[in-house]
Amino acid sequence: MVRGDSNRRWRRIFLILAAVVGAYALLAPLTSLDAAQSANIPLLADRLWFRLATITAMFIVMATAWNIIGGITGYAAFGNVAFFGIGAYTTGMLIAKARWPFLVSLPFAPLVAAAFAAFVGLPLLRLRGHYFAVASLGVGVAVGELVQNIDYRGQAVFGGASGLFLPIYATNNRGLFFFYLMLAAAAASIAVTWWVLRSRFGYGLIAIRENEEAAAVLGVNTTAYKVAAFSLAAALTGLAGGIFSQWNVFINQDNAFPIEYNVQMILMALLGGTGTVFGPAAGAVLLQLLIQFLGGTLPISVDIPFVSATARPIVAQIILGVLLVGVVIFVPRGIIDFFGGRTRFSLGYLRRSLRETSL
Amino acid sequence: MTKRFGGVAAVDSVSFEVAGGEIIGIIGPNGAGKTTLLNCISGVYRLDGGDIRWEGGSIAGMAPYRIARLGIGRTFQIVRPFGSMTVRENAAIGALFGSEAARSGPKEAFKQADGVLELVGLAAKASLPVSALTIPDRKRLEVARAVATRPHVLLLDEVMAGLNNVEIDQALDMVRAVHATGVTVLLIEHVMRVIIGVCRRAIVLESGRVLAQGEPEVVLRDERVIQAYLGERYAKRLRHERDQEGPY
Amino acid sequence: MGVGFGLVWGVLNIVNLAHGGLVIIGGYITWQLFSALHIDPFLTLPVDAVALFLLGYTMQRGVINRIIRAPLLFTFLLTFGLNLILVNILLLVFGSDFRSVTPSYSGQGLELGRVVIPYVPLISLGVAILLSAALAFILNRTRIGLAINAIAADRDAAQLVGIDLRHAYAITYGLGAACAGVAGGLIAMIQAITPTAGEPFTLQAFVVVILGGLGRVSATVVGGLAFGLVEAFGQSIPGSGSVFANAIAFGLMVLVLVTRPQGLMGRLR
Repeated sequence: MVRGDSNRRWRRIFLILAAVVGAYALLAPLTSLDAAQSANIPLLADRLWFRLATITAMFIVMATAWNIIGGITGYAAFGNVAFFGIGAYTTGMLIAKARWPFLVSLPFAPLVAAAFAAFVGLPLLRLRGHYFAVASLGVGVAVGELVQNIDYRGQAVFGGASGLFLPIYATNNRGLFFFYLMLAAAAASIAVTWWVLRSRFGYGLIAIRENEEAAAVLGVNTTAYKVAAFSLAAALTGLAGGIFSQWNVFINQDNAFPIEYNVQMILMALLGGTGTVFGPAAGAVLLQLLIQFLGGTLPISVDIPFVSATARPIVAQIILGVLLVGVVIFVPRGIIDFFGGRTRFSLGYLRRSLRETSL
Repeated sequence: MTKRFGGVAAVDSVSFEVAGGEIIGIIGPNGAGKTTLLNCISGVYRLDGGDIRWEGGSIAGMAPYRIARLGIGRTFQIVRPFGSMTVRENAAIGALFGSEAARSGPKEAFKQADGVLELVGLAAKASLPVSALTIPDRKRLEVARAVATRPHVLLLDEVMAGLNNVEIDQALDMVRAVHATGVTVLLIEHVMRVIIGVCRRAIVLESGRVLAQGEPEVVLRDERVIQAYLGERYAKRLRHERDQEGPY
Repeated sequence: MGVGFGLVWGVLNIVNLAHGGLVIIGGYITWQLFSALHIDPFLTLPVDAVALFLLGYTMQRGVINRIIRAPLLFTFLLTFGLNLILVNILLLVFGSDFRSVTPSYSGQGLELGRVVIPYVPLISLGVAILLSAALAFILNRTRIGLAINAIAADRDAAQLVGIDLRHAYAITYGLGAACAGVAGGLIAMIQAITPTAGEPFTLQAFVVVILGGLGRVSATVVGGLAFGLVEAFGQSIPGSGSVFANAIAFGLMVLVLVTRPQGLMGRLR
């Protein structure tokens, strides 16, 4: 069948693309090792590269994690950045105040984040739709505020407005170390998603998403499953936060609980394809590249005509907004659909998407 | 059991017993409380009074998933398939969770699912998405999914609604086949042919109360039952006609 | 602010994350008219209402209607994206400096014995009540208002009796935007505004609607009063209570959602 052939072709293109990008991501950092440098191998990964790549990997973790509660279980949480911040502050506090080594402090980030998720999840997950979304947003905002402002006997517990400073992690090639660490977290998130989707647990979650009442009378313990999914998403997000805190060496409310992350991780999962294994990751890479490109931080950048340098970030936000609107209207199922071989990207597809959801 | 909504008792002190292996029909005019009764038994609603006892223990107030685990399965009047899954996957959910006898891993569950689809006649359509199914097929899937939970008791809520005569016959065969595997069946129905055809006992509900109980043919001739369905004038007319005709 | 937000939510089932942006636009229109043409800010409020109504109508008819039947997640993201566009256009045009609207009587007030009630908040309260009453009137007495009520009750049935959904939806959103615009004009008189100052308003509007209960204008008014009280109380807690104002508001909201989801006065949906 003609359509089948072209779909297979797209699938192959995607796999090749993914393999190339993956290989590049894995091997380019090695060129920064001293051994490679003394052998005169060209430097493919400089500090800027490491910074961008680590941030991208971080978003892969967050988008993939969100997908577990939002895409697979169908409970669109809007405050997951709270778990990122909790993870960051957990590790941060253990390192800065308790003076624990980084690699010992790190595992506590996902643990504490998951515990918190289970705690707020029990009441929160009883809500549906709008209520759950905004309640989770509220929790996300409130946690950030609390962490920044809690005082104990006049002293800010978590570092207050001036933030928390961590000692710099002692290692040879910091950029490489943290990149690989974050990449490992990303790989773990994807692996966890893959496992979930073919396990009994995952089927239960999808059943909850499709029809919660039917799932319940068929024997799915919906409360336990929802809380478990929420906690799992929180743990992974918290892990990213934990790594971030040591990597960035400094955390405060603005960089540990940035509200825009909430939307970004959802948009990434949406763009790539909610409910799939690689969708959120693909969306994360794509969107991150776009954001950085528009922000002018990529080595290759294009000057937007008629726009001055100061206005550039504002225009970038506008383009992002337009993109968001466009994606939501025209590509609601995400781009991974095209690469999965099920549909072809065409005007007809765009028109069909539109018809499905418009009045 | 008793269940109230606001001031109205949708189910008012309804009491009956079910023995293993029976097929019982629950009938009554619209609004009699049949589906509410089902929702109470399956745990979707909480009782306002009374109790439900299963194998010696009380199950009133249990969460729906625990009632399913005990082996009480049900279908919904307006079918609720898992839209993004295939037919096979839908049935497998029942086998993945469900009663203690089910609850297996994915591989085993899919095997069970195939068996159940065979039973209800959907084996040929196993890999189709649910959206591709006709209404009768969706009802079959709803039953298959519930049967996959390996229940001891199956509560069917108006499975025959909207089916034509041929489809009703097929559905009747399906119900008999399910019953033959040892499942106790409670059928809510409006189609009398089904009740007479397959039920050993019928319970008539009206305005939340039990009006009559007994063999279907007997119950359906009961004047109170006719009155409940068709109104007093018709019941009077029928009585008058019967008196005129004699015992036949 | 809450009333406009609740209207859109109750009828179109949209949580409008662009609400804050619309509010701030209203504020800037008032500021512009006040500072450039020296028109009394209260007189600019009708301009706010009309301008935002038109903007809202266009937004709904042109963009939001396209995904109105999609799951909730999409409307969230869409309105968020629209907000992003609106706020940043404001940034481009007006810059990020804080602006405020201070009419000549802003420091003065009504003297009742020893108590002085400042004019601006007093008149604002009057405007808010007037607006709520006007909205209630529109919803209950005009043809389009009844159409909106019908849609809120049963969308498909409303279509069957011949109501033009697209138009009615757009009017509803326009009304909501108009309310937001007026709120923005009032806010410009009370605090300094900058394009990004609208963020908290959306969330506050949400809390107001939840506190009061979705369904009737009066319920939202009650919610607004309740919220105002809680905020004021939170500000007055000794220590750094004011910083926790947001957290308190959200905590209250979550509490209400979990214990009494229909709000103080609403009906369970």
